[in-house]
Amino acid sequence: MSKMKLSPPKPCILRLRRKIRSVYRGQDEVSLLRASLAGETEAWGEIITRYKEAVFGLCLGFLRNRADAEDLTHDAFIRAYVNLRRYRLDKRFSTWIFTIASNLCRNRLRYRRYHPVVSLPAQLNGGTDPARIVAREDRGIQIRQRLDRLPYNYRAPLVLRYYNELSYKEIAEVLSLPEGTVKTRIHRGKMALKEALEKDGVTQYENR
Amino acid sequence: MRIDNLDESLRDALRAEVTTEAFCLDGLEGRIVTEIADRLPKRGPLDLLRGLFAPTRGVRIGQFAVLGATAAIFLMMGIFLADHVPGFDRTPSAPERTIATGHMGNEILFVMPATGAHDVSVVGNFNDWEATPLADDNGDGIWTVSIPLSPGRYEYAFVVDGRWWGQDPLADGYVRSFGEYNSVRYVGQVGDDA
Repeated sequence: MSKMKLSPPKPCILRLRRKIRSVYRGQDEVSLLRASLAGETEAWGEIITRYKEAVFGLCLGFLRNRADAEDLTHDAFIRAYVNLRRYRLDKRFSTWIFTIASNLCRNRLRYRRYHPVVSLPAQLNGGTDPARIVAREDRGIQIRQRLDRLPYNYRAPLVLRYYNELSYKEIAEVLSLPEGTVKTRIHRGKMALKEALEKDGVTQYENR
Repeated sequence: MRIDNLDESLRDALRAEVTTEAFCLDGLEGRIVTEIADRLPKRGPLDLLRGLFAPTRGVRIGQFAVLGATAAIFLMMGIFLADHVPGFDRTPSAPERTIATGHMGNEILFVMPATGAHDVSVVGNFNDWEATPLADDNGDGIWTVSIPLSPGRYEYAFVVDGRWWGQDPLADGYVRSFGEYNSVRYVGQVGDDA
């Protein structure tokens, strides 16, 4: 939760770090994980580069708060590194890191129940065609606002399904739920979202 | 009213949100790597030297595997030798332990190595603790005597030049009575208190 105060690394260290990381850039995931296990922290840096956006997206989708999502993305990678020896190489790394992030999010939501924060309104995305971007963003904002109000139990599987693009089986593994429950929650979550959006009368959604 | 696909809209909305907010991830790798490096114990030259000899987890598992395999090989060899090499078996039915002499009883060979001794005898409940002398006819220091015994449990000890010697290496067990050890031998069925 609270990050350590660290002094910024010297430029020569940063240059060296970039050089080392370029070596790891082309390596496959298993080699990177093995190197990380052997204590090569820059290999872990490359793993972070590959997964940070996915983990951040998961945290943001779950928590609906950028500051918390940023904080937990950081914590998830630290926790994963500390527990790397427990990771089995025959399993998908993405599922493992998502499980860690998901557990952290669940704990943070419990904490937030008693220590609520006010989220900032979502920023608008820039683009080339202002009319199209605004129309798309308008819908995006509506969906995100409805997602905010959706209970966590329905929101979490929806995020894993539509942002992280996991299979039902993987979602069940990440959330420690039976696969059937995951399917039901995704269906009900979507229905709730659809009803809420259609109530606004702007957009009608296909029945799928 | 426009008809949209909810799956696509949901996907787009979540992606757009991450794209908008992901600027905060810049330099995350560096921050985490620095934090991890600070947490790792600093390694001195002595630690590096130690690392060369300290086995890794994989090597440790390998060592245990080799140890286990060696133990298994020795066990198999022991079983093989016990079955095929006469005299290797340590069970009471081995030839040097009992010599069958018919239904009436077994002739038990008592052996006592005592180089330089002048008088070696065996005392036990089979001879009412009266000395039965052992002989060393060829002078090699191995004293022996054969005593016919019916099946049963026998306590005994050797007396070497007047000294009590209660722990016969060929005995089936030992008991302690009156402050001295006595050897125990079972004749007939092994371990049978008949």
